[in-house]
Amino acid sequence: MTTTIVLQQAINGVVFGSLYVLVALGLTLIYGVLVQINFAHADFVTLGAFAAYFFMHLLGAGYFLSIGVAFLVGAALGWLINASIFTPLRLKGNELLPLIATIGVSVMMQNLMLTWFGPIPYAFETEYSSQVIRFAGIFVSWQNIIIIAVSSVTIALLYAFMKFTFLGKALRAVSQDRETAGLMGINPNYLIMLTFVIASALAGMAGAMLAPVLVLTPFAGTSVIVKAFAIVIIGGFGNVEGTILAGLIVGLIESYTTQFLDPGLIDIVVFALLLVMLVIKPTGLIAERREENV
Amino acid sequence: MTEAAAAERPVATGTAPLLRAQNLHKSFGGVHAVFDISLDVPTGSIFAIIGPNGAGKSTLLNLISGIYQPDSGSVALDGQDLSSMRAHRRVRLGLARTFQKIRLFKQLSVLDNVIAGFHVHHKIPAWQYVIHGKDFARDRQHCREEAMRLLDFFGMSARLNVFAGELSYGEQRMLELARSLATKPRLLLVDEPAAGLNAAEVDVLLDRIRTLRGRGITVVIVEHNMDLVMNVADRIMVMDYGRHLFQGTPSEVQKNPAVIAAYLGGELS
Amino acid sequence: MSDSAISQRVGNDKMLRSRWVGYLLAALCIIALPLIFNDTYWRTNLTICAINVLLALGLDFILGYTGQLNLGHSAFYGLGAYVSTLLIVKLGIPFWAAFVAGVAFAGLAGMFLSLFAVRLRGHYLAIASLGFAVIIYQILLNWISLTQGPLGIYGISPPPGIVVGGTVIADFRNLTAFFYLVSGFTLLVYLLLDQLVRSPVGETLTAIREDEVSAASLGINGAVWKVFAFGLGAAVAGAAGCFYASFVGTLVPDAFYVSEAFTILAMVIVGGMGTLIGPVFGAILLTLLPEILRGIGDLRLVVYGAALTFVVLFMPGGLVQAARMIHEKLRPGGRRP
Repeated sequence: MTTTIVLQQAINGVVFGSLYVLVALGLTLIYGVLVQINFAHADFVTLGAFAAYFFMHLLGAGYFLSIGVAFLVGAALGWLINASIFTPLRLKGNELLPLIATIGVSVMMQNLMLTWFGPIPYAFETEYSSQVIRFAGIFVSWQNIIIIAVSSVTIALLYAFMKFTFLGKALRAVSQDRETAGLMGINPNYLIMLTFVIASALAGMAGAMLAPVLVLTPFAGTSVIVKAFAIVIIGGFGNVEGTILAGLIVGLIESYTTQFLDPGLIDIVVFALLLVMLVIKPTGLIAERREENV
Repeated sequence: MTEAAAAERPVATGTAPLLRAQNLHKSFGGVHAVFDISLDVPTGSIFAIIGPNGAGKSTLLNLISGIYQPDSGSVALDGQDLSSMRAHRRVRLGLARTFQKIRLFKQLSVLDNVIAGFHVHHKIPAWQYVIHGKDFARDRQHCREEAMRLLDFFGMSARLNVFAGELSYGEQRMLELARSLATKPRLLLVDEPAAGLNAAEVDVLLDRIRTLRGRGITVVIVEHNMDLVMNVADRIMVMDYGRHLFQGTPSEVQKNPAVIAAYLGGELS
Repeated sequence: MSDSAISQRVGNDKMLRSRWVGYLLAALCIIALPLIFNDTYWRTNLTICAINVLLALGLDFILGYTGQLNLGHSAFYGLGAYVSTLLIVKLGIPFWAAFVAGVAFAGLAGMFLSLFAVRLRGHYLAIASLGFAVIIYQILLNWISLTQGPLGIYGISPPPGIVVGGTVIADFRNLTAFFYLVSGFTLLVYLLLDQLVRSPVGETLTAIREDEVSAASLGINGAVWKVFAFGLGAAVAGAAGCFYASFVGTLVPDAFYVSEAFTILAMVIVGGMGTLIGPVFGAILLTLLPEILRGIGDLRLVVYGAALTFVVLFMPGGLVQAARMIHEKLRPGGRRP
């Protein structure tokens, strides 16, 4: 019996973990390139979810198409927030101002969504939520399989993009040294914009996949963001491999805490882990030292 | 800088070097920034560390001032081992420094920047930070006057109330020096002071540094431009690729073939 | 003494006098307000204002003066409220002793949090503080045997009145008296912070905020001061929490949800981060604005969020910066730091 439960929760852990990874990857990409945090990232997740919901249920479109819509909505939001907030504030040089500005955006977005959509959860049902496979005594819904499949493919593509393509390498170059990258003919502004677009598109997409398995309210993103931040820190700011690893770990921790302890303790456990990491290894699981230039 | 203030500091005894670094090593990610560097800086002298860009000079300075901890080796100030001390504690022993990339408090005025430098020298009982009594007023007055004297020494009396961020580059350099002198150091580390200054400004700068030596402050200058230090240094150490290349008087350094090779086509006069 | 030194001395004296005039005016305003607005509704609002000013002051000391981005100020608010209330309700400890305990607990929690992230970049502290606020909220919500969770604690009494030789000087069940108590305390805290800021402590904190490495080269131990400032700011929030609990009479965890931290942040930023008078105006404005513009009740938080974003983008110094700009336009002459 216990092995079944352990396996079941492992699957759940991977499902949620891979979604957290998608959200966290966006945050870590932005940090890697710009050393900034977009606090409204979570609300992009929520808005992506709502976009997918309305596209599906108002226009009767298919689920996969809705995921694509959420992807595009996320991309648009990413472009918008870079253009309106991060680019103008970059000239001011204060490293904490953009974060504060995005907190304002987050508060605005959440409460606007609250006004438009109301606090009552939306039932985001897809044709896959109820179809279940059964093997070795475990139940896996097609929804879960889709999530794992789409996430893995996306993460793999992103990883390959970062490691092997010119643009991907350029992104890493810009994160190491913006001036030199600029001198080498790479336009940092364009790359930063691209980073935001990709990162936020991932967030939107994650929202579309999360909504059927979580509760869809204007605060859906918030429940994820706090874990996403934890993942980014545990995995190491700007570190893609670390984030993937940390995301899966957090997903698994969440499942097992829910099963064996108490769901209310999840946040506490994850954050206790975060604080412990900050003490012993603040640069993250897979250390990547960034010496401050004096 | 008043003679009285200079006299407050204990004078180093005999001919023991004020600063002694021994076998310093520092690597970053497998690359040796500093490899087996030792140096002795006699009290009251001007000691220059020169080398091409990337030679490890700034890293060495960071090791001495305590921003980096060495992988091995030691640093001692007037016989006192500094190894376990973090940067801010070394200031109390009389070690001050300026930075290659100017780090002023841009939102503060020129005067306030220098006053900030008196941090380790305030003599105010704790309660008077809340209820500003006599000692508080006296300390404030003293700090103001000292700060103005320091700024006068650097010719900045006319700019007291200007925001540090609005100064010209040369003025910012002077301000940085004035501020570091507020800590009443025995040893002053100056990191590439001439970068970005025109010839006239450099002359003034070097002249001020000579005057400081005359008042008993030992100065260590890091520079990549050898011409500059020729006229002011008592002793020069040349670094290249993190290693010790040569050490000697300015004329010896100028004639040394290894040094000339390292500076191929560089800034030799 | 040089001319500039003399004129600075004179300038100092003039500044000193205008400061005390300012404090006197503030005290007079405080005394007058509940007499002008003599209905329960407005007096309640004024008291909430005072509590919010206290919260904003504490946060600005941490954020504006020391440069630590604290996104979890609601945690210290809640800790002060719950610790003091639980001591009173469960252990029968007298109000002021519990008050001190609540303040101390909140202060220590702040120092504890600051220690974690003291040598790391600002973003780490921001997230750690956010996480801390979430954890505290979850604890308050879920540790039902201790805090009664969402059901809340009821029947919290106001502070005991001041009785001298049989005559009641102050009865804090009276709204006006309570307002005087809280505002008086707030004014004292303002004075304390003001004195600190105008001393070498203020210079030290500013130096750390501007450039910590540079400050270290002047002998400043950044870690110690950051922890100190955080503790003090958190303690002030704890005091606000104690007052809040005894004012509202019931205590539920939702009052200390993370969004409260963002509201306080908005007050600081809109008012003017890095000044003391800024948070005062920011808190007053953002507390009273929704009451004045009744129609936007539901959109209150949207307005806060918008205010926060636009202030950061276009006038990062908040109301204080706006006031300075107007002041400069009205009088000729150059800018003085």
